[in-house]
Amino acid sequence: MSENPFEVLKEDMENEEVYLKVNAMHRVKVVATLLGNDKIKSQLIPYFESLLKKEDDEVLFALAEELGNIAQIIPNQSSCLLPLLEQLAGFDETVVREQAVRSITIVCGFLADNEIANTIVPMILRLASNDTNFTCRVSAVSLMCPLYARAGNQKEKIRQKFTELCSEETPMVRRAVATKIGEIAQFMDKIHVIQDLIPVLKQLCQDEQDQVRLLCMESLMNIAKILNSGENKTNILPLIIQSAEDKSWRVRLALSKIFADLAEAVGKEIADSSLIQIFSNLLKDTECDVRVIAVKSLARFIKFVSPEKLNLIVPLLQLLSKDPFSQVKQNACEVIGQIATLLPKEYSQSKLQQYLIDLMADDNQDVRRNAAKSAGQFASAIGPEALNQFVPFLKKSMDDPKWRVRKETMQTIIQLALTVKNPDVFNKQLESVFVMFLKDRAAEVRSMGLSQLPALIATYKQEWAVGNFLSKCVETLSKDVGSLYRINALYAIQQISFSVDGPVAQDRLWPIVQKCLKDPVPNIRFVSIRVAKSLSKKIDNQQTLNQIKQAINELIEDPDRDVKFYAQEALQN
Amino acid sequence: MNNKAASSKQTPAVRQQPQAAATASQNRTPQPIIQNMARVTDPKHVPKEIRDQFLKKIHFCSQPYDFNDDTKNVKEKQERSQYLQELFDLLKEPNFVVNLVVPHLDLIIEMIEKNIFRPLPILKKTATNGEIGMEDDDQLIDPAWTHLQPVYEYFLQLIVNEQPDVKSLKIFITHSFIQEFLELFDSEEPREREYLKNILHRLYAKLVPRRKMIRKAINDCFYTLIHETYKFNGAAELLDILASIISGFAVPLREEHVIFFKTVIIPLHKVQTCQFYHEQLLRCSMLFLSKDPTLATFLVEGLLRYWPFANSAKEVMFLNELLEVLEVCEISKLEPLIPKLFKRLIKCIAGPHLQVADRAMCFFENDYFLTILKSYKPFTFPLLVPVIAQIADTHWHKVLQESLNALKTILKEIDYQAFDKALNNKDPKYLYIIQDAKNQKKDRQKIEEKWKNLTKQAIQKNPNFKEPIVPYSDTHIVGEHNGLNNGNITIL
Repeated sequence: MSENPFEVLKEDMENEEVYLKVNAMHRVKVVATLLGNDKIKSQLIPYFESLLKKEDDEVLFALAEELGNIAQIIPNQSSCLLPLLEQLAGFDETVVREQAVRSITIVCGFLADNEIANTIVPMILRLASNDTNFTCRVSAVSLMCPLYARAGNQKEKIRQKFTELCSEETPMVRRAVATKIGEIAQFMDKIHVIQDLIPVLKQLCQDEQDQVRLLCMESLMNIAKILNSGENKTNILPLIIQSAEDKSWRVRLALSKIFADLAEAVGKEIADSSLIQIFSNLLKDTECDVRVIAVKSLARFIKFVSPEKLNLIVPLLQLLSKDPFSQVKQNACEVIGQIATLLPKEYSQSKLQQYLIDLMADDNQDVRRNAAKSAGQFASAIGPEALNQFVPFLKKSMDDPKWRVRKETMQTIIQLALTVKNPDVFNKQLESVFVMFLKDRAAEVRSMGLSQLPALIATYKQEWAVGNFLSKCVETLSKDVGSLYRINALYAIQQISFSVDGPVAQDRLWPIVQKCLKDPVPNIRFVSIRVAKSLSKKIDNQQTLNQIKQAINELIEDPDRDVKFYAQEALQN
Repeated sequence: MNNKAASSKQTPAVRQQPQAAATASQNRTPQPIIQNMARVTDPKHVPKEIRDQFLKKIHFCSQPYDFNDDTKNVKEKQERSQYLQELFDLLKEPNFVVNLVVPHLDLIIEMIEKNIFRPLPILKKTATNGEIGMEDDDQLIDPAWTHLQPVYEYFLQLIVNEQPDVKSLKIFITHSFIQEFLELFDSEEPREREYLKNILHRLYAKLVPRRKMIRKAINDCFYTLIHETYKFNGAAELLDILASIISGFAVPLREEHVIFFKTVIIPLHKVQTCQFYHEQLLRCSMLFLSKDPTLATFLVEGLLRYWPFANSAKEVMFLNELLEVLEVCEISKLEPLIPKLFKRLIKCIAGPHLQVADRAMCFFENDYFLTILKSYKPFTFPLLVPVIAQIADTHWHKVLQESLNALKTILKEIDYQAFDKALNNKDPKYLYIIQDAKNQKKDRQKIEEKWKNLTKQAIQKNPNFKEPIVPYSDTHIVGEHNGLNNGNITIL
């Protein structure tokens, strides 16, 4: 039995429910594949035409998408879909329009260049000249970008129309142009960018609507990327200056957001000579949201200016690190850490260190957290000599009431220890802070320390692990602190055991674990079983092994079910 | 913590102004202008000193200050309020207005523009770590409002005043002025929006040659709301103005106004924030319909098209509007919409939300609606009767069950035979609305089977054929198909 695919589609489209119609519409490519070229043209397209007037937006949205798929089935004749798509591109509903534009672009992919010039360009111009529906003009703007490159000798017409639309009274169209002007510039010859686009960009940057000016910012950056340094200086720089003084803080915020990319786009020379000054003003903006975003960009911005110019930014950091708004300070921490890697050591130490130390004692926990994070970067940039200044403050941070701050500090300490790689410095300065994780109140901090332990042992070797560190673990175990601390210490011992040789495990570690197997708390007993098990893998001495086995064996009759379970499990293997 | 840090940027030029202001305050004459003016014998020739004094004060009021920080420029701000009061008092005397205000309208309008045309602040809630779950209903107040209010009041009185005539005013009311003015309607400060509304209303009334331009600018504002931003604080106020504009339209309506109705008024219903301005929107719609009842069918069509999804409060509003609009419709014109209309009503009645169902039941208390129902009996009975009969037996709510039974009686009374025939119809086409999902799936089986076969054939024909993915299925979320991040979703 063979169904007529077109009839099935029509039957399903008769359905009452919109969602079923949408589903049916998405199956159209089944129908199209089976019908073949001729019937698509003679049956399917007229049928679609009849749907345009009566169907819901959801169905038309699906139709717009599927027309793009049908184009892939009939690549050679896909231009027959264009009249439908052109109508959809003028629809009121935004999603339908945008989908139609996407599908037209797909269709164009299958067309030859002369077809583009003969059918697509006139279509775009038709849409662009539709005076009654602004939606057509907006769609035309989106279509111009991907198709400009292939418009052949019609390019000039498109350019002309595009610039015409920039002076449009309807704000919706101006907004569309402002978003797309950077994109279309990528496809144009440089001379046209400068002759045609720059003047309208200037005009849009002075638009009476702040929304339009705001949208220009992204485009500004994209155009700056294609121009060379001299062209940027004459064309783009004045616009940046003007936007930085815009009366709407929304525009200044949008500019702050892209400032780092802008600096990258215009190159070091302009960034050094002009942008630093402009950016300084944004960093001092009266609107706190602008400052927050500006400081955020600053961390990237400093990479695009010459190091010798950075001293212009340093004084600002003093201001920013004392900002009344905590989010500004939060972001400033990151910048201080970053900038220290670019500045001469002595300079950062004398100018910036104090700010960072102050920020570590801020009222806001997020600021303290970021400060602790940046302290690591700062200290490793300056080198071991800075450490003794920082360590007291890091130690203080480890007493912070907020565990997030302590966790960040712990991470910083570990990072520093791993980068310094100097046992002397480590023993004198960092170790005492590091071992604080053993006694921390928050599980997050304890497990953070634990997780990095293997790396530290790899760096500072067995001597440290079974020396100082082990004694700290023992201290924790022997003191009658909570069982969770003792479990943590046991796990630390397990970590040590992975990196020591047999005799050490036997003589130094086993006696400790042996004691713990008799702990009054069941949880410690079963953790001890697990640690004992990993010890046994290291130890060769049969006598000790028997000891371990026996000790575990005693726990098989333990009153606690879990201990019993782990004891049995350990003995089985 | 200073969360409400200054929001208006001070340009370098502004920073110098406190100085300029200080010199101005030294030179000022202690006497208010109005008293000096009162002594002038020939009002047509205002002495230069008084004129200068007047201009100086206008200039002073044009200076922007940081109104968000009460501790800055306290003295200047006080002086400014005093001057504004003086300027305001001058408007009370027609003589002064003619001879002093009207000749300097350019400077006065500039002063007003400099004060009110500003980037709107985002009113931030102070970071109070209130208890979780506590509703924070406090109105947010723009700290600058106390300083803006006198300017708005002055502007309003200036427009209300009869002395400045249309000719002298209209040169200042340009397209860009109106556009910037309309942007202010997005202010979160309700008192500001109230002033804006009154001023724009008076301007429209007064400046006949500018009316078309104002209407167009308002149109653009609504287009932006419908197509781009989906939220605009001043929509209700603008619709208020429109209501009075619409009531002034001549009959028959011009084509331009009909297009406005179709491209603005109807699509405004679909915006997610519709409930904030629905009352005003309804008024505008009804005014349009009173001018041209034939538009009613378009509105019914629009309402059915943009019916809310998962928003029962909005559904109740739509039902209210629908009934009102139906009463204006000519019954014969409704024919193409009848299936959609009745299906929608049935869905509302059978739906899970009691208020929606209750509201939909009210339709049957309306005589005109019953006339519609009767006129399309061959269609409405087979649709309504089986469904109503079934839910009348099974509905979970007692009150609604009673009214459903009452409805059953009404339908029976209308046409006993048609009722019986519809009730005994073995294939009630629309029962699916009240069916559960399982049964619906069974009904779909046949056609799903056909699609499966066709897909197999397509794969045979073209081995590279990829099976289509349908968005609505059990294992798939529709939002994923359409892309939840397509920017078209506003979270209220």
